Amino acid sequence: MADIWWKADPHDLHRLTDRVSSVYIERSHVDREDNAVLVINRRENVRIPAAMIAVVLLGPGTRVTHGAIRLLADSGTAVCWVGEQGVRLYAAGLGPSRSSGLLHRQAWLVTRPKERLNVARAMYAMRFPGEDVTKATMQQLRGKEGTRFKELYQEHSRRTGVPWNGRVYKTGDAFAAGDDVNRLFSAANTALYGICHAVIVGLGASPGLGFVHTGSAISFILDVADLYKAEYTLPLAFDLAAQGLTEERDARVALRDRIADTKLLSRIVTAIKALLNPPGTDFDTPETSALWDEHVGTVAAGTNWSAQDTHPATRSHLDLSPAALGEQHIAIVGPELKDQAPLPGQQP
Amino acid sequence: MTVIILIAAPEGLRGHLTRWMVEVNAGVFVGNPSRRIRDRLWELLTNRIGDGQAVLVEPSTNEQRWAVRTAGRNRWRPVDYEGLILSARRPAHTQDRQSRN
Repeated sequence: MADIWWKADPHDLHRLTDRVSSVYIERSHVDREDNAVLVINRRENVRIPAAMIAVVLLGPGTRVTHGAIRLLADSGTAVCWVGEQGVRLYAAGLGPSRSSGLLHRQAWLVTRPKERLNVARAMYAMRFPGEDVTKATMQQLRGKEGTRFKELYQEHSRRTGVPWNGRVYKTGDAFAAGDDVNRLFSAANTALYGICHAVIVGLGASPGLGFVHTGSAISFILDVADLYKAEYTLPLAFDLAAQGLTEERDARVALRDRIADTKLLSRIVTAIKALLNPPGTDFDTPETSALWDEHVGTVAAGTNWSAQDTHPATRSHLDLSPAALGEQHIAIVGPELKDQAPLPGQQP
Repeated sequence: MTVIILIAAPEGLRGHLTRWMVEVNAGVFVGNPSRRIRDRLWELLTNRIGDGQAVLVEPSTNEQRWAVRTAGRNRWRPVDYEGLILSARRPAHTQDRQSRN
């Protein structure tokens, strides 16, 4: 493992907007073979063009190896674990962006109430085109949004003939509702969250620093996804229910088609750009790693800044012994294997 | 659309390429990588193809609307006949010589 020539440089990676939105994997092993991300199941082995995908959604029955995750991270692909019936569990990823500029900007905005309110208003303004919300309070905006959705439910119910008995949603159990529209809406939203997550981490922003939502580790994802529910997931849920397509898979596939048709990934990128509006920063800023300085801003990293000569003798205080596994340190390490037995379904 | 064909590629190269493109048959890769990424992938391929062969066919603004790049040993070479890209091979009786990358 000395020569890691397969490692992708940021320049090797496609921008998020040039990628396929999502790939969903279920009941399979995700492994690494021959430097490829390989999906193995009883039926087939498929190699995934990870660098061309924004987010990989891992469904129930998947098993992922360290090697696979390493390649996915290296490809700038977000990974999102989704549970039974599409409940979003957990997501991780380091997108193609390798710079912290946008994250700084987001943190700056979210920690100043005046700035935060302006961003939140801008988010609502995107949903009420032509209306002036620059003076509105958060309470007024929440009220307007609630009214808008009530009207949308009724409108789509009339349009498709699918009865609507109110939104039933329990966190963590999105499928408590029992009716298909609610379930499809939740499943489609989950996929939308995964995609928004991919875009947010892909641009190098934080999923947790929300403007309208707060408290949750995915607050900003919820903020961004809310911009598109009325246009994407809600009509989709009614359309599918009207056609008798009630599988969560139908919601995911239909959403993906609609995302591709309407270039949603680019739209999300543009929206985040407009909302966070980082002055003079480009989203494709190359990775720069520096050390912060309170007077001059930044100084070079990777440099020894000790004033004295960095003679090895002056560094003798460093403990260069290997880390001891004391009683305080509990690790579970499997035994080394002589030959790796091939996985079921994998050609040796 | 871009097509890359690898023949007798060293281990790990084909798998690496599948992160950017789809391998539709052994050694045949199809995808839509951007110009920048095509160039970078090609640089990697020419450095690592060794005794194998690599061919890249990509869209171009010429009359034929495509261009070809080749790398590796004993490869067929694209020849420019007044703007028309044709392929040249050495006659079969000539000796196998190490070609430049």
